[in-house]
Amino acid sequence: MGKKIRQMLVAYGMVLPAFLTVMLTVAYPIALAVVRSFKDQTTGAFTFSNYTYFFTTPAQFKNLLYTLFVVVMTVAIAIFVAYLLALYLRFSHSRISRTIGALYLLPRFVPAMCAVYAMITIIRDSGLINRIGLVFGKDIHLGLMYHAQGLIVMNLWFNIPFAAMMITAGLGAIPDSIIEGARDVGASRFKVLTSMILPLSVKDVIIAATFVWMTNVGSFTTPYLMGGNSPKMLGIALFDQFNKYLSYNRAAALSVIMFLICAVSAAVYIYSNLKDTEWEMQ
Amino acid sequence: MKMRKLGALVFALTLVCATLAGCGGSGGGGAAAPATSTPAAESGGGEASEPSGEGGGTVHIWATGSDNVRQIFETLIEEFNNNSEYAGQYTAVLNFQASGTGQAAMTDGLAAAYQAGQENTEYDLVDFSGDDLSKIIALVGEDSFLPLDNTMIPNRGNVAAKSSVAPDRVQPYRGTTVILAYDSEKVPEPPKTLDELVAWMEANPGRFVYNVPGTGGAGDSFVRTSVYNYLPEEAITSADEQWMEQWDEGFEFLKSINPYMYSSGGSIVYPNKNQGSLDLLNQGEIDMCPNWADMVLSQRASGELRESIKITQIDPSFTGSLQTLAIPTIGSNPEGAAAFINFMITPEAQQIMVEQMAAIPLIDTSGMDMSGYEDLQDLDVSNFRIMSIGNLGTSFNERWDNEIAPLASIPE
Repeated sequence: MGKKIRQMLVAYGMVLPAFLTVMLTVAYPIALAVVRSFKDQTTGAFTFSNYTYFFTTPAQFKNLLYTLFVVVMTVAIAIFVAYLLALYLRFSHSRISRTIGALYLLPRFVPAMCAVYAMITIIRDSGLINRIGLVFGKDIHLGLMYHAQGLIVMNLWFNIPFAAMMITAGLGAIPDSIIEGARDVGASRFKVLTSMILPLSVKDVIIAATFVWMTNVGSFTTPYLMGGNSPKMLGIALFDQFNKYLSYNRAAALSVIMFLICAVSAAVYIYSNLKDTEWEMQ
Repeated sequence: MKMRKLGALVFALTLVCATLAGCGGSGGGGAAAPATSTPAAESGGGEASEPSGEGGGTVHIWATGSDNVRQIFETLIEEFNNNSEYAGQYTAVLNFQASGTGQAAMTDGLAAAYQAGQENTEYDLVDFSGDDLSKIIALVGEDSFLPLDNTMIPNRGNVAAKSSVAPDRVQPYRGTTVILAYDSEKVPEPPKTLDELVAWMEANPGRFVYNVPGTGGAGDSFVRTSVYNYLPEEAITSADEQWMEQWDEGFEFLKSINPYMYSSGGSIVYPNKNQGSLDLLNQGEIDMCPNWADMVLSQRASGELRESIKITQIDPSFTGSLQTLAIPTIGSNPEGAAAFINFMITPEAQQIMVEQMAAIPLIDTSGMDMSGYEDLQDLDVSNFRIMSIGNLGTSFNERWDNEIAPLASIPE
């Protein structure tokens, strides 16, 4: 008995530092923000107005829809392209695929600020592409800067390598032998893809998608430097609330809204994990 | 085996203690940081430094701002300590607080020192922007600064510019203002009045833009002067909420010029930050934008902007501000502080400020080398329009974001 208690104490003792740190630096501020979001900034009375503001003010509601649009498009395109890239890297053994395999993670090592400015100098209406066009007598205005398309292009630059890395790791775990086995009994390439590779890698795809989703909901640098004034991504709208308008309670409410948007993907992530454990237990 | 578990327990407890101590320590360290970073230690103890009646000793100078402000103060202090007439007599030391890490830190600290009744502090001399000066005077009152006169500061007579706030107790030493920056190749004859500017915008849609208010002072100045041009003159320096009701006409004006602003990808776009509109001008995507005189001229001098980009002022003018120095009554070295102020308005010091930050000199420039900065001579500091609307600024920016910014997304 004494031994058991001591073991328990040791276990809790080991966890405690991490637990306390999380409580103090994550849970406590979140709780405070949630409480604040239901309070009127001047009177401190209970109110929903901090939330209704974001759904009834046309400019703010547009920001919300705009953010969802940018994030959904980013996730969809990034995952699709990353999946194709991962398939190629996994199943092609050519020199080109090995070279791509060695290079595709490079964008992860470029500081975000440099990458954004580099992209701006290329795609802006007076940028590199425009100047190359002028040499051939064409005045090309891409119109990507300050618009959703430009943000999505930049987000893809950041997220495709990341998603491809996660999916490649998943595909790497599929043994060649089962694919060869399926081919031996006459399954077509398409059949192998739809009934073996896709089901076996879907979990990694979901995980990659949730991470891409979460990092983009709250993104700041890219939309601040490349985005327009209206609509704006929620990260910028949040910055406006606490830095420009000094509306701390509305900022808290918007944080909670963003948290809930992220929670959608967290729920998907946890659900897919749980399903997995159930399957393993059987 | 037992020993190992015991060891693990001890280790875990140590970690807990370390975590708790770490939290406590960082809090305490944070609070203590400003105290240790002040040069009190070097100069032999802050509390003990007696007011030096005989003249001499250390002068603690407090300033806040962007990094170029720190650089200019370091250069000027080195000059003061080594080459000025006061070299050897006084030693100036800089206490600098970078903006962005807590913009109000310096004025709040000073106000706190007054309210706590401290005396003989190291606040010997303080550098204020127009906004900070209004704020500190509102917090602690004019009497908290020593009156300045020509016997203390012989060069004071050479400066015509006067602060609008506490003119007898602060010394303006440099100025900057928002101007109209334009590409002289595309616009050989820039507009001279706001009406001419609007006519030019209408004739050249898409070739003008101002940056989003709240992201840089040039955009702020453009939209606020646009609105306050419709209001009585006293409104522009008042934080009284009654003026908010009279903003409508000005906002209608901003809506009316919206279709003529820069557009990209089929919609009107206002860039973020002063640098955002300046980049568009430099890239040739627009031909004109409001911006800061010092930003434009110093970037042109360093080659970041094209030579053809010039500056001009329109009537009614955009807003400018005077940077001032003041001697708090709670400081320890008023003579040294006065000496430093006197040094700052010598031609030598003014020359350094022109060359390093394209500041507008406040003394007669005939004895100075203004080559490369001739544009500064045309900017008249004596009729600077000062803007200080206090907390109304946040409501103003919010209204712009809700009324003007959404128009941008509708292609005209």
